[in-house]
Amino acid sequence: MTPTTLPPKSSHPTAPTPPAGVRIRVNRLVLYTVLVAITGLMLGPFGWLIVTGLKTTPELAASPVHWLPDRIQWHNFADAFTQIDFLGYARNSLIIALIYATLVTLSSAWVGFGFARLNAPGKKALFGVLLGSMMLPQMITLFPTYLIFAKLGMVDTYWPWVLWGLAGAPYLVFLFRQFFAGMPRELEEAAIVDGCGYAGIFWRIFLPQSWPVLAASFVIAFTWSWGDFIAPMLLLSNDRTTLSVALMTSYVTPGGLPVNNLLAAGSVMYVVPILLIFLVAQRGFVAGMSTTGLK
Amino acid sequence: MTAEQIPEAVRRPRTAARPGTERTTSAGTTPTPNSIRTGASRSTDLPRGSMTVRRRRAFYMFTSPWIIGFALLTVGPMAYALWLSFTTFDGISPRWRYVGLGNYRELLSDPVTWDSLGRAGVFALTSVPLSIVAGLALAVLVNRPIKARGLFRTLLYLPAVVPPVGAGLIFKQLFNRDSGAANGVLHVFGIDALAWLDDPYARYVILMAVLWGAGNVMIISLAGLQDVPRELHEAARIDGASAWRTFRSITVPLLSPVLLFQVVTGMIASVQTIMPLLIAPVPTPAGVTAIPQTNYMYMMHVFAQYFAMGRYGYASALLWVLFVLILIVTGIVFKATSGVVFYNVDPEAKK
Repeated sequence: MTPTTLPPKSSHPTAPTPPAGVRIRVNRLVLYTVLVAITGLMLGPFGWLIVTGLKTTPELAASPVHWLPDRIQWHNFADAFTQIDFLGYARNSLIIALIYATLVTLSSAWVGFGFARLNAPGKKALFGVLLGSMMLPQMITLFPTYLIFAKLGMVDTYWPWVLWGLAGAPYLVFLFRQFFAGMPRELEEAAIVDGCGYAGIFWRIFLPQSWPVLAASFVIAFTWSWGDFIAPMLLLSNDRTTLSVALMTSYVTPGGLPVNNLLAAGSVMYVVPILLIFLVAQRGFVAGMSTTGLK
Repeated sequence: MTAEQIPEAVRRPRTAARPGTERTTSAGTTPTPNSIRTGASRSTDLPRGSMTVRRRRAFYMFTSPWIIGFALLTVGPMAYALWLSFTTFDGISPRWRYVGLGNYRELLSDPVTWDSLGRAGVFALTSVPLSIVAGLALAVLVNRPIKARGLFRTLLYLPAVVPPVGAGLIFKQLFNRDSGAANGVLHVFGIDALAWLDDPYARYVILMAVLWGAGNVMIISLAGLQDVPRELHEAARIDGASAWRTFRSITVPLLSPVLLFQVVTGMIASVQTIMPLLIAPVPTPAGVTAIPQTNYMYMMHVFAQYFAMGRYGYASALLWVLFVLILIVTGIVFKATSGVVFYNVDPEAKK
């Protein structure tokens, strides 16, 4: 752990009497057992996906279920690449996710700053609309938007994701707004006295302070886009579509039956990039949570 | 006077400024040559009034990307959907016509609408409380001074990072009738294999998929927990309050805005979940009608009407009904909690 995280023990004073000490030790044992059990349950599905990806097709039909493969089929992972144009679809997913996550993070921070630190007539109403739009099922807009995009010739291009990115996402705006609202007023007052405009205050003072939120927002937006199914399915043709759509619909035998071991292997390679991005970003994420603000 | 202050603010944004931003803000504030100043000497003696106006302009400069985007990408399409909901438009046939409230009348008298709405309601009422309680419990657990706390947090949060498509793919393997681990466990206890992905069990599979992502609630609650001043807890403990009492009387009230946020967003997410489609045998628009009855929730009904039936007008009416219902329910949630939720958004007011 980085030195910035909270010291583990100082927060709870050690109990003075021996009986209490014993009780605390038993409590801790229970606590760790519960934690390990829950963590095991949460990680189990990942493990099963990998195990399934390493079996042969006949083994998947075996009854009772084989917990581990008889012989590990590493080549399933190579076959998963060739059965569909895995890399091509992954590239499409990556391009769309990078475009969207970068744009939407910056624009949401920008808008969130406005709602958190500035005032104008109509702000309350606008904020109400922002919250209200969070409650709007995205599919209500998606289909008519699709028709409009089709008329503008934007179907089968990545422009829709650019526009969605520029417009900001209400959820992320709210996230940034909450974060910026909690920052001390002195920060911006000092900057105003120094002659800094609000854009400067945002760019030089608030944005650098908010990098844990930026990381969180980027990871969230990237995951949304990477995991989105309905929008790419509607908007993109078969060879420009994303890995999400390809995984859901390809990996079938000519007869239309799912090839579960290759599908599982492909799914592993679909999920792993998301997990890696999170693991890289979360160092700042976790450390930032205990150090943000001036305290 | 105030117009001189603004250009400074307009010019600052570099990459963050969108073309749309400047268009709105420059409306009344054309930069004049004398607007370029070295700020320091000027702004120290700014009168209060000009500060307010400056803030006002800046507010619209900052919020304009969202305002424009909202108008073009949300209000526009929604108005279009509303118009469609009064027609028989199907995207292909040129002979569509205006039917007034016909679609609405039809959907109200269709038992499928009511059944699917009921299923969506039950799903929201089970999945939201369960995931919030689970997430909050996890947050409290990993907020305690334990070894490898960071590791536990990371691992517990990991499933929440997996996108819906990934979760769908994973749960399909886990609950596969022949090769799934779930039936493997049942076999150990001597229970026959279940068809998890069919009626009547499929609804529990999506519920478990939601709970699998409880790390989301955990991580957001955890951030809230760490904002709770430790002195408050220590003072309560010195006064002899039990851990549960401290949690109930200090932690939960201070967390209440976070929890309310989770309730509302969780509810919306549950209503529009596509998990039933993702774990369906054929997860394509054509296969939506084949999903198990217990998972045929309102959103799936809408989806089927759009893409399997091509009834855009009728499906748009279904969407508008859902939207209005969501607004009403959310309004009720906010009204019911307005006296209970404790906001501490302005730290200065507390000092």
